Amino acid sequence: MPPYKIPSRVKFRKEFRRVRDRKATKGNYVAFGDYGLQALEGCWLKSNHIEAGRVASTHFLKREGKLFIRVFPDKPVSKKPLEQRMGKGKADVDYWAARVRPGTMLFELSGVSEDTAREAMKRMAMKMPVRCRFVKRRTTVG
Amino acid sequence: MHEDAPTLTARQRERLGSRYAKRLRDRGALPAIVYGHGQEPLSIEFDAHEANKHFAKGERVFVLHLDGVKDEFVLLQDLQFDHLGTQIIHADFRRVDLAERVEVSVPLVFVGEAKGLKTAGALLNHPVTHLELECAVTNLPDVLEVDISGLDVHEHLTAGQIPLPKPTMKLRTPADTVVVGISIKSESEATGEGSTVEGVAAPVVITEKKKEA
Repeated sequence: MPPYKIPSRVKFRKEFRRVRDRKATKGNYVAFGDYGLQALEGCWLKSNHIEAGRVASTHFLKREGKLFIRVFPDKPVSKKPLEQRMGKGKADVDYWAARVRPGTMLFELSGVSEDTAREAMKRMAMKMPVRCRFVKRRTTVG
Repeated sequence: MHEDAPTLTARQRERLGSRYAKRLRDRGALPAIVYGHGQEPLSIEFDAHEANKHFAKGERVFVLHLDGVKDEFVLLQDLQFDHLGTQIIHADFRRVDLAERVEVSVPLVFVGEAKGLKTAGALLNHPVTHLELECAVTNLPDVLEVDISGLDVHEHLTAGQIPLPKPTMKLRTPADTVVVGISIKSESEATGEGSTVEGVAAPVVITEKKKEA
């Protein structure tokens, strides 16, 4: 199995689908790095998407800067095999996914220039199944 | 300084709640609240376009002209953004006196080229992006500039080492808080890899009943 991230221990083997069409109210700002890649749509982001994004940035950055992965695939998604009759209980887990809502920050970068970060994020965005945009850290009032 | 504070012409909101706040935003107004000085909190609204211009300029202290009768000085305390972080959807104002000292959070700006960053694999870490300061309302700094040009690898600056713009300002963040430092990053930091178990077929289910031997 490829080195995709999955939880090391879980409370339950399978879970319900739950609500998807809500907007991000947390994890929607640049918190750790200086630049971020923000999802503009919601999805279940598979663990291999996250890994593909990480690899794309690593290949481009060549050990420069620091990458923060802000999402973790902790949701088990089950799928019935092909040509299987309906019923007979919930199927086995097919993949692990992170719940992404519009506005969720997927990746953050620090320690690189803005141009480099833009190019890295562009390459990472191409690996994502949703539309994404490049954002900078916001100077909040408070 | 704040005799030239911008004026915000506001009206009191009669109907409260998210539904009415949304209607306000649809017609170009911005819902807000004013509180402080032991008075009742007041829900207000004002023109969003005019307010956004002031916020973009970095204005923090305003004269609030409420319902055409009452003028009071207010400090912009907090802003709420939408889910994408682009549009301001609500503002919090705090009543202040110009002679009053207030606690504010001031963003840090790092200036200079750190000599430690020329080392291969060196990374600038800044775990803190804002510092809490106590200062007079008339002397609110926009940003705090931190000169990092003398910073070498494995060195750091703490909050207490950062010079404040005015001697009357008091630092509220603990002085030993590390603000910025340069470290040589590890392999996992560079690639974004964590300590999670990888490549395992299935995770351990902690509520699963153990099989009897």
